[in-house]
Amino acid sequence: MKLLRYAGILLILLGAGGWVTPAAAELARNPAAQDLILKGDAKCTGCHDEGDEPVPSMLELRPSVLSIGKTRHGTRADGRTPTCTDCHGASEKHNNHKGGGKPPLPDRVFGKVGQSSATVRNEACISCHQGGNRIHWQSSAHASGDVACSSCHNVHAKKDKVRDKSTQTEVCVTCHKEQRTQFNKPSRHPVPEGKMACSSCHNVHGDNPKQLVKSSTNDTCYTCHMEKRGPFVHNHQPVSEDCSICHNPHGTTAANLLKTRSPFLCQECHGGSDHVRQAGLLPNLNTAATSRFAAGMVGRGCLNCHTNIHGGNSTINDSNAGRLRR
Amino acid sequence: MNKHSLRQFRLSALATSLICAFGYAYADTQDERLAEVLPLITPDSSVSVGIGNWSGDRHQQGIYDGMREGKAYGFLDLDLVKRYEDTGTWLTLTGRNLGLDTRELRAEWLRQGDIGVSLEYSRLTRDNPLTYITGLQGIGTATQVISGAAGAFALPKREVSLGTTRDLTQLGFYKSFSRTTELKVTFSNEEKNGARHWGLGSNAYFLTEPIDSTTRQLEAILNYASERLQLSGGYYASWYNNANSIMSGTISGGAKTSLSLPLDNQAHQLFFNGGYALTPKTRATFKLVYAKATQDEALPHASDWGARAATAPASLRGRVDTTTAEVGLTSRPLQKLSLVANLRYHDVQDKTPVALYTVIGNGYHTPHSYTTKSGKLEGTYRLPEGFSLTAGMDYKDQDRTAPTVGDLAAVTNVRVPFRLRIEETSYRMQLRRGLSETINGSLAYLRTNRDGSGDVLTTSAGAYRAINPMHIADRTRDKWRGMIDWSPSAKLSFQFVAEDSRDDYAFRPAIGVAAADQPQGLKDGSAKLYSIDATYTIDEFWQATAYYSIDVTKANLLGRGAIVANQKTTNLEEKGDSFGVGLKGQFSSKFKFGANLDWMKSVTKQNQIVPAGEIVANYSLFPGDITNKLIRFNLFAEYALAKSSDLRFDLIHERWRTDDWTWMFAGGSPFVYNGTTASIDGTTVLAKPKENATFIGARYIYKFQ
Repeated sequence: MKLLRYAGILLILLGAGGWVTPAAAELARNPAAQDLILKGDAKCTGCHDEGDEPVPSMLELRPSVLSIGKTRHGTRADGRTPTCTDCHGASEKHNNHKGGGKPPLPDRVFGKVGQSSATVRNEACISCHQGGNRIHWQSSAHASGDVACSSCHNVHAKKDKVRDKSTQTEVCVTCHKEQRTQFNKPSRHPVPEGKMACSSCHNVHGDNPKQLVKSSTNDTCYTCHMEKRGPFVHNHQPVSEDCSICHNPHGTTAANLLKTRSPFLCQECHGGSDHVRQAGLLPNLNTAATSRFAAGMVGRGCLNCHTNIHGGNSTINDSNAGRLRR
Repeated sequence: MNKHSLRQFRLSALATSLICAFGYAYADTQDERLAEVLPLITPDSSVSVGIGNWSGDRHQQGIYDGMREGKAYGFLDLDLVKRYEDTGTWLTLTGRNLGLDTRELRAEWLRQGDIGVSLEYSRLTRDNPLTYITGLQGIGTATQVISGAAGAFALPKREVSLGTTRDLTQLGFYKSFSRTTELKVTFSNEEKNGARHWGLGSNAYFLTEPIDSTTRQLEAILNYASERLQLSGGYYASWYNNANSIMSGTISGGAKTSLSLPLDNQAHQLFFNGGYALTPKTRATFKLVYAKATQDEALPHASDWGARAATAPASLRGRVDTTTAEVGLTSRPLQKLSLVANLRYHDVQDKTPVALYTVIGNGYHTPHSYTTKSGKLEGTYRLPEGFSLTAGMDYKDQDRTAPTVGDLAAVTNVRVPFRLRIEETSYRMQLRRGLSETINGSLAYLRTNRDGSGDVLTTSAGAYRAINPMHIADRTRDKWRGMIDWSPSAKLSFQFVAEDSRDDYAFRPAIGVAAADQPQGLKDGSAKLYSIDATYTIDEFWQATAYYSIDVTKANLLGRGAIVANQKTTNLEEKGDSFGVGLKGQFSSKFKFGANLDWMKSVTKQNQIVPAGEIVANYSLFPGDITNKLIRFNLFAEYALAKSSDLRFDLIHERWRTDDWTWMFAGGSPFVYNGTTASIDGTTVLAKPKENATFIGARYIYKFQ
């Protein structure tokens, strides 16, 4: 025993004399230095280490564990950054498994096999991310539909598809098939080009009507189309109520995202014994297409003359003003 | 020191001694490991440069991507990320499409969990797919001249394309004051410029709306989030400024017509949201929003508008106040039962003073206000085997204003019926299965009833009194939705979606309306969607996908001719078919490959049954169905030249077909404003019925950390 003690003292002196590398000294001071990414992750990365990483594949069928280190969740200097067990649970049975065979699953499973319920999975995220625009998550349509955060987000991925506007739509249309079709229609927003994403208009973590980013359809549309906000001297009632009465923002075959072409769209509200009643007509070749009847419904249809359809500010002493033609 | 602790001391001292003694050897191992692990946990950066060429013009498919013309384009993309591990500071510079008109550039400095700033620039272009052969002068300005009749006043015609450009600059600031409190501020400035296809107003002459506006938005949000209480409050302001408040179109050698343009407006909003966990299973939330929007710019007046009405104020003094209040409760009173309930109040009050702006035609300002009270109650009960049953009810009660005698001195100008109150109740039920490794899905049914009261009928001589405006008419909606995710094996999975929705608009004779005057407007409608997706994972590196979707939307519209007996029926239908197959994978760790083929077809039908007297001489009914077809084939191949560099090739082939006659004469030739190119205006509108274009591009990608 004495020999051991003397050997120890000698070795400590050697170390104090500068013969020890900084890494070894750090390890001596702090055994937790064996963590690879997060504080206390050694418990997990002891097995899920670099040797356990999947062979890189475009499919990313088996997510990389360590790539979380590339993300905001891998920023150790941020005191709020969680560690593995904060999300996956303490998972003592999983961690203490010895011997052959597969270990029991962790306490909270995000993968397909043995998946925890959406509520349990979401608790992990909500414990940190309940604030901001996720305050109303629990009453959102997605939460009601048992959609989990991990249904859309891939927390370990170096690039979470749904947080990048150029790839977000790929994630959303896995459930929203109707919108996948509509985004290919001739009249649409620049979603396929990645200039807009679903989250440009929708806060899927909230409970606003239609999960919009603002408290109403119009307030959402005005963030980009503020010229329609008015109020105008001559209002057009549905315009001030709800843009989606006439427009389908996801895509249409009629121009300007109109649900259907003029005059049919207009005649869903307007009827009369005067020119308002006119059928869908095109002028024959070389017809002088200037009068309100004669223009027919070519091109912009009713809007050929009712140009200020969203509202007008004209003070012309003429009925044309109120009819949104000036 | 007892015997046990003494022994512990000796062992730990020994361990420390050994570590110190064999530090080199250990350090080598650790360093090697770090060298191996570091690339796996360090953020990646990349720079991509390339060149590509579109073989032909893409008037329809290139409306937003900045590559409308068939020519060569340069590409530059940046994704530079640096994280300083000791401080958690991120430096990022992201650039997309830097070689194109649609470029985006974003820089951010962020000390995570502490403070950050970002600056972003983005350009969005929108090119009108139509081409115009026109003599119109002054496009993009507020003074435009339309070509006069043949002769001295005719203006030379040339080919013109229209479009708009949005240049957005955004500044962001973030500060975390503590683990619970943070501030986020964003300010954006967007300049929108260009010209939009418009019209002269009185007659169908070609004119363009000059777009020269600035939109600014400021949002400051203070968030507080502790384990039980979360609060979020702030201020949001937005300003719209239009460089032009009025524009004119003058026929060369003839009269001038002036048209009003959107005026400057602004809105200021305060909001405050919160949530509190009353118990671990029960949570209460609230939401308060108050906004004031105003439009008080001096009203423009043009010389050709005649004398201004004496009753018309110089400014609209427009003001709309919006108040939203919501309270909610979510709870899980039993392990198997969860409940969601909320009550919402949304009030939009148009407080703009009513005044007579134009004497002829009773041109009063007509404010529209809405007060909507709504509520939701929903319960979900968990059943065995991963099943759950959800039942819910939504209720909406809306008070609405309508033009009244107070608003219109002579109530002879109401052209559309209004309603003072709408009630809508929805009941829904859903059976859902989740958490299975083989088959999950849901089946949902929803029924909505909408009706109302306080009908305000039309007073205008020519207007039908009881047409059913689609958004306020009595309506019953039945909707089914089924979805199945089926994985018969680990490699193969299917997803099936089926939706069926039917709307039935009731024709309740309104008070004071003769039965013969009914019905008008929407009669019924339906929407169907069927979709199947399949994924076959060949192995860890290869995957094939396929999908097919059909959607059909129908609406049946009833109308009337000049006399009651002349009933008019229109059956609208839109059918879409979409099909796609894809394959992606890698031949080796160096060679990746992917290919997709997408095919889309939409058919728009408008079958009109019109009494003969309703077809005006020299005009014909809409020709028939409109079919749009799109085929897009994408292929890419990426080869790793070295560990840090790739070479990528892209091939895209697009075929677009349309027989859309929107801008045609009934005979199928391009529409010319006013009949012939020799007439006044004489602008020809050209739509491209066919586009074939192929893109070939190559990029060099350099990756580093």
